[in-house]
Amino acid sequence: MAGDGFIVIGEAVDGASGLAAAQALQPDFVLLDIGLPDIEGFDVATALAINGPPPWVVLTSSRDARAYGRRLTNGHALGFIPKERISGAAIRALVDRP
Amino acid sequence: MWDDAGIRGRTPLVSTLPALRSTTLNWVRALLLIIAGALGLGMLVGNAQRGPLALGTVLDVLVGWSFVACGIFIWARRPTNRLGPLMTTVGFLWLLGRTMTLVPNPVVYTAGLWLTDLWAPAFALFLLSFPTGRLGSRADLAIVGVFLFVTVPLEFLWFLFLVLDSGLNALGIAPNESAAHVIDTIQRDLISLGSVLLVISLGRRWLRSSGPVRRQMTPVLVGAVAILLQSASWIFLSSGTRLELLDDLIFLAQIAIPIAVLFVILQGRMARAGVADLVVELGQTPTPARLRDALANALGDPSLQVAYWAPREDRFVDAAGEPIVLPEDGTGQAVTMLERDGIQEAAIIHDAILLEEPGLIASVASAMRLAVENDRLTGEVEAQLQEVRASRARIVEAGDLERRRIERDLHDGAQQRLISLSLELRVARSKLGEAGDPEVQRSLDRAADEAQAALVELRDLALGIHPLILTEGGLGEAVESLADRTSVDVTVDVGSERYSPTVEGAAYFVISEALANVTKYANATKAVVRVRGLADHMTIEVEDDGIGGADPRSGSGLRGLADRLAALDGTITVVSPVGGGTKISARIPTIQPMPSPVLAL
Repeated sequence: MAGDGFIVIGEAVDGASGLAAAQALQPDFVLLDIGLPDIEGFDVATALAINGPPPWVVLTSSRDARAYGRRLTNGHALGFIPKERISGAAIRALVDRP
Repeated sequence: MWDDAGIRGRTPLVSTLPALRSTTLNWVRALLLIIAGALGLGMLVGNAQRGPLALGTVLDVLVGWSFVACGIFIWARRPTNRLGPLMTTVGFLWLLGRTMTLVPNPVVYTAGLWLTDLWAPAFALFLLSFPTGRLGSRADLAIVGVFLFVTVPLEFLWFLFLVLDSGLNALGIAPNESAAHVIDTIQRDLISLGSVLLVISLGRRWLRSSGPVRRQMTPVLVGAVAILLQSASWIFLSSGTRLELLDDLIFLAQIAIPIAVLFVILQGRMARAGVADLVVELGQTPTPARLRDALANALGDPSLQVAYWAPREDRFVDAAGEPIVLPEDGTGQAVTMLERDGIQEAAIIHDAILLEEPGLIASVASAMRLAVENDRLTGEVEAQLQEVRASRARIVEAGDLERRRIERDLHDGAQQRLISLSLELRVARSKLGEAGDPEVQRSLDRAADEAQAALVELRDLALGIHPLILTEGGLGEAVESLADRTSVDVTVDVGSERYSPTVEGAAYFVISEALANVTKYANATKAVVRVRGLADHMTIEVEDDGIGGADPRSGSGLRGLADRLAALDGTITVVSPVGGGTKISARIPTIQPMPSPVLAL
C-alpha cells in the first residue's frame, strides 16, 4: 500500500485501541474492519466521525458487501472494500469517485 | 386396559338376609295382604249394609288395595328399598282408617278418623321419596313436616273441640263448634299449602330430569297433583259443595299410581333410561360438575359424589381438589371403585340402596370409567401434541442457530484463509513484477483469480446458509439487501421492528424464496414485499406482475417453506392465476407456543 502513495502510520487490533490511535495520530485515512473483536466497525466509524475532524473511513471485511447491505452506505464511511481487494489503488478509486 | 375387577363395591353388591328372616318376612307380607283384603271387604260390606254401594266407595277400597298390593310386591322384590313398606303403610292407613269409621264405637271411630287423615303425610312421604324411599332434601322433609303437623297436633286439638252428632268422638272433652271450625279451616289451608309445595318440589325434579327419567317420574307427579286437587276439593267441601266426579277421578289416579310405580321400580326402566342418558352425556366430555350431576341423575341419587384419587396426596379429592373421606360401611352410603390396571382412579360415593341393583351400578360405573379414560387419553394426546409442537419449534430454532454457527465458522476459518492466500498471491505477483518468468507470472495470476473465485463461491454459500445482515440489521435491512440483488425492481415495505431470530429467519427465507422465484420464473418487471407486524403475528406478502401460473405443489422450495412455517404454526398461501401475477401470503405467529400443563385424570 505504501507504494500506492499512502503511508501506514499506525495499526490497532481492536476498536478501542483504534479509536485511541486515531485520536493520537490524526490520520487522513482509516481502514476499518467491520468485524472487530470489541466494537462493531460501523460504531467505530460513527465514533470517529463524532470525535473531532473526521478522517476518511474505508470499511473492509472478509465478508462481502451483501452481508451488510445498506449499512455500508448509510453510515459515515467513504466506502467498502472486501479485504482481499484492499490496495492503495482501490482506496484511491473510492476517494476519486464522483 | 381395564380388568374385570375394575369395578368393585366396598360393600357387598347383593345384600343377603338370613334365610329364616326372609321366610318370616314372606309370611308377614302374606298376612298383611290377607288383612288388607279383609279390611277392604269389610269396608264394602259395611257400606252395603247402609244402602246401595256408591262408585266412590268401590274406588276407595281399590285405592287401598292398590297401595298395599303393589307396596308388598315391591317390598318382596326390593327388600332394602323403603318404598315397598312405605306404600304398604299408605295403603293400610287408608283401608284401616276407613273401615274403623264404620264401627259405632267412639274409640274405634275416632281412631279411624285419625288414621284416615294420617294417610296424607304418609302419601306425601311416598311421593317425595320416590324412587329410593328416602327423602332427598331438607325441603322435602319440611313438606312432610307440614303434613304431619296438620295431622298430629292440630288434629288432636281439633278432636278436643269437635262435636259429632253421633256422639262417637272419644276425645271430645271440650265441645266447641266454632273452635273446631277454626282449627279445621287452618288444617285445610295448611294441607293445601303443603300440597302446593309438594307439587313444586316434584315439578322441579321433573323439570330438571331428562326425557326418559321424566316419563318415569310422571306417576308421582300425577299423585302430587291429585293430592293438591283433593285438598282443593276439601276447601270446596267446607263451603258446602262436593265435587263427586273430581273425587272419583282422584281415586282413579290414586289407584293407578302404585301400579305405575311398581312397573317403574321392578322393570328398572328408570335406571336404564338414566344410564342411556348418562352415556350420551358422558360422550360430550362433561365438566366434573356435570359428570357428577349426570351420575346422580342416572342413579337417582342426589347425594352422589365423585372422588378422584390423588396419588401425590395419597387420598381422594373432589373435582376442586378438596379431600373427600370415603364413607364407612353401615353409614347408608356405599363406594364403587373405578380402577385401572389395579390402581384406583376414582370412586363413586352413592346411596347404599343402589347396591340392590348391581347391574345398574356396574353399567353406570362402566360409563363413567369410559369418560374418565376418555378424559385421560384426551389429556395425554393434548399434552403430546403440545410437546410435538414445542419440539418442532425447537428443532427449527436449533437449525437456525446451527446455520448461524456455520456461517460464522466459514467466516472465521476458510474465508479468512482464502483472503490471506489471495493477498499473499498478490504480494508474490507484485514482488515478481515484470521481471520473472512469464509462465510463473501467468500461473500466479491464475492462482489469484482461482482464490478470488473460491472466495466468492464461499461467500455465496455463507449468505445462503445464514445472512449475517438478518441477525445484525433485522428483517428490514436484510430484505432491502435482497431487493438490491434482485434483477427486477422490488419495492420494500418492511418496518424496522425486530422479532425472534426464528421468526425473522422464517420470514426472510419466505421472502428470499419468493423473490428468487420472481427472478427465475415470473417474467415480471416489478415486485412488492410487504411485512406487517400485528399484535401476535406477522403477515408477509410478496406480489409480482409476472405471468402467474405458479403451482405451489411443484418445486420443493415452497413446500420446504410451508413445512418450516408449519413448525412455527404459521401458514403460507400462493395465489397465482395464469397471466395475473403471483401473490404469496404468509402468516407467522410472533408469540411462539409454550407447552402448557394439562391435567389428565
